[in-house]
Parts: sequence; structure tokens; C-alpha cells
Amino acid sequence: MLDIAKALALGALFGWSLHRAGLTHYARIVNVYRLRDMTVMRFMLTALVVGAVAVQAGVDLGFATGVPTPPTSMLANVVGGAVFGIGMATAGYCPGTIVAEAGEGRLDAWIGGLSGLLVGAVVFGLLQPHIMPTLASIGVVGRVTFATLTGASPWLVLFVFAEIVVLVLTLIARVGRQTT
Amino acid sequence: MEQAHVGLLQPLSDPSTSCAGCHAEETAARAERYLSFAVTAGPPPPTAPPSSVPPGATSDTTANRVVAALAALLAVALFVALRREVTTTQRSLLLARLRDETPRPYAAGVLLGLVVAFSIVTCGRPIAVSGAFDKLAAYPGRWLFSSSQYYTHVMTPGITWQVWMLVGVLAGSFASSKRAGQASLRWLPDTQWQPRFGTSRKLRLMIAFCGAVLVQVGAGIAGGCTSGLAISGGVVLAPAAFLFMAGMFAGGIPTAWLWYRGRAS
Repeated sequence: MLDIAKALALGALFGWSLHRAGLTHYARIVNVYRLRDMTVMRFMLTALVVGAVAVQAGVDLGFATGVPTPPTSMLANVVGGAVFGIGMATAGYCPGTIVAEAGEGRLDAWIGGLSGLLVGAVVFGLLQPHIMPTLASIGVVGRVTFATLTGASPWLVLFVFAEIVVLVLTLIARVGRQTT
Repeated sequence: MEQAHVGLLQPLSDPSTSCAGCHAEETAARAERYLSFAVTAGPPPPTAPPSSVPPGATSDTTANRVVAALAALLAVALFVALRREVTTTQRSLLLARLRDETPRPYAAGVLLGLVVAFSIVTCGRPIAVSGAFDKLAAYPGRWLFSSSQYYTHVMTPGITWQVWMLVGVLAGSFASSKRAGQASLRWLPDTQWQPRFGTSRKLRLMIAFCGAVLVQVGAGIAGGCTSGLAISGGVVLAPAAFLFMAGMFAGGIPTAWLWYRGRAS
């Protein structure tokens, strides 16, 4: 019960932050791929830095029993990302923003988006045995992080990561143009 | 035969990983023969939960916690001290900011980062949306394709923690929209869509649908979507997250260019 309550609460904050960031708009998503509106990147990169520091702090403070890490399978990650990007740049949303837009009352998200995600999941279920053995066999690294991969201290790696993010954000602020 | 395997740990948990290194051709057959004579060489090595990277060495958790508690106390003291400086006019300005519909990506980014970190650290779960749809779609999927091994072995139907998280997203987004006065039923995107695609709802629904299908298939291949892989994977600094983001732009930038080729706005 408490588990479900946490899921609902965290989801609510997630949905709130998505809307607050302005990501429930077709134009704002598509324009990041047109290199015209970097709001999405500013939002995501900030979340990454803050989140990474908070996760490492939580781990060091002893609150974490294990850190869920996605497996790095290089070809699958990139190919999946490319297919994902094609869809996102076309329709102007991703799974999270589809649900957030539904919360905003957008019927294209309710009817087109939610059904598309469910159908897409079924389509993937059909494709999976045929495409995944090949796609998932190239560049398999496993459940690693940059810290475990390099063997360096996690905080040091985090510091470098934070520096890179701040650099990118500064460049974005200087070069990027905002339309919506 | 025992001598050939001196020094090897009991690989009973995963012959395909441990035995196949030297016995690639007939791993299964050899594993069975090995099992028949493998005596109690001691308990099998403890296996960490497969999805987790074990936490870094907590050199002195108590010291960490004491210092963190001090930091938190000082933060509270700072907050109280600075609050006295904020006048009533400024406070109502803050409230007005909440009702303001101007997007605030940095503030929202801080919130999302904390939310994801909390989820990962205390609940042991990533914030992952596409996985929830995989689980939900497995209900009709299993019914439609009952002979498929995918739904019996890989993706069993279920109302998971992530599914409940989605319900929360609906509510949270609704709350934020209501606050900003932006919650209303509409079919088309507010800006940029109509000049490019016209006013047809059917066209928007078709494109919205096709885009969502592609997005979910892509997430299935990559192992997650922007929330589950890019963000939740990114905060633990997994290379997969950044490879995924590179792929997103590799696919998305030419796509957006194709859709808007020759158009100024």
C-alpha cells in the first residue's frame, strides 16, 4: 500500500515537473530537433546533474540497497534511440509527455498517443524475437556506469559530468534561440 | 575430471556464461555431466540482484549521516534567517509565479532530479514510463498472440509500480495545468502545428498515433524511453542513457528537418 502511495506521489511530482517545464507542447519538443528551442535540454540536463548528485549522496549515506542500472547494449541503445527520435520529432512527444499532455486535457494524446503506445508495445512484442537477438548482440557491455567502467571514484566522475553539463548549458544559453 | 575444474567457482547458476567460455559447443551436455559429479565445493557465491550495481563502499555511514544532518540543520537555519528578509510583496509574487504559465525548465529540472533520485535510492526503482505501457499492452497482447513466448517469458502482463506512477503523472500534470489555467480539452497542438499541417483532427490523430507507435518500438529496442533510460539511466551515469540520447538526436534531427524543409517557422 505504501509502495503504491509512493508511486502515485512520485508520478504526480514527475507530471507536475513535465508540465512546469513546458514540455506538454508539440512545438517545444519538435523544435529541439530543429535546434531552435533548447528548453527540453535545459530541463533534462538540470535533472541529470541534480539527480546524479542526489543519487550518489543517497548511496553514500547508506539509504540505497542497490542502484537500478540499465544494461548498456550499444547497438540496441543507439538504434532504439534513433527510432524513438524519429517518432518523437514527428508527433512531438514521448511516452512521459504523452501522459502529461493527457493530464492537460489534450485529446490527441488521449486517443492517438495512448493507443499508439499500446499498439507500439504489441508491435514490439511481435518484432522482438526476430530483431532483438541480432540488435542485442553487438556492443554488449552490461549493467555498467561510467564509474564502474573507469574504476575511478564516483564523485570524481560525477564532478566531470557536472562540468560537462554546465558547459553544454552555457553554450546552449549563448547560442540557442527560443521561439515558443 | 574434477582436476580440470579445480579453482573454478561453482557455476551452477549460469552454465551458459561460465561453462561456455571453454566449452562453447556442447555447453548443455557438459554442464549436465559436471553437475553429476560436482560435490559440495562450498556454497555458491552470493549473487547480487541482477539489476543492481552494488552501492559504493560506505566508508563511514555514521559519519556521513552526522555531517549530512548538520548540513540539513544549517539549511533550515538559513531558510528561517533568509525568510525574515522576504517581504510580503515578494511572497505574493512567488505565488503569482506558480500561477504563471511561463515554462520554468531549470526549476522543474531540479524537481525532477530530486524525484528520480528519491525513486532510485529509496524505492529502488527508476522513473520509467514505456515499461509500464509494455506491461499494460501485454494484457491484450497475450490474448491476441497466446502462442507467443514473449508474453509468457519476457513480458508478462501486470499492474506494476510504474503503472501506478503513470496514474500519478496524469494527476500531477492536471494539477499543474489547472494552476496555470491551461487545463482544457483540445485536439490540436497550440502552436506551429496548424500552419504546417492544417486543422484536420484526423491528420493530427494519425500522426500522433504513428509517432507514438515508433516511440514505443524504439523504447523497446533501446531498453527504455526518455524517463526510464535517458534520465533514470543518466543519473546513475550509465553509458546506455547517453548512447540512447545520441540516437534520439541522430534520428530526430533529420526527421524534423524533413518535416519542416523549406519552411521558415
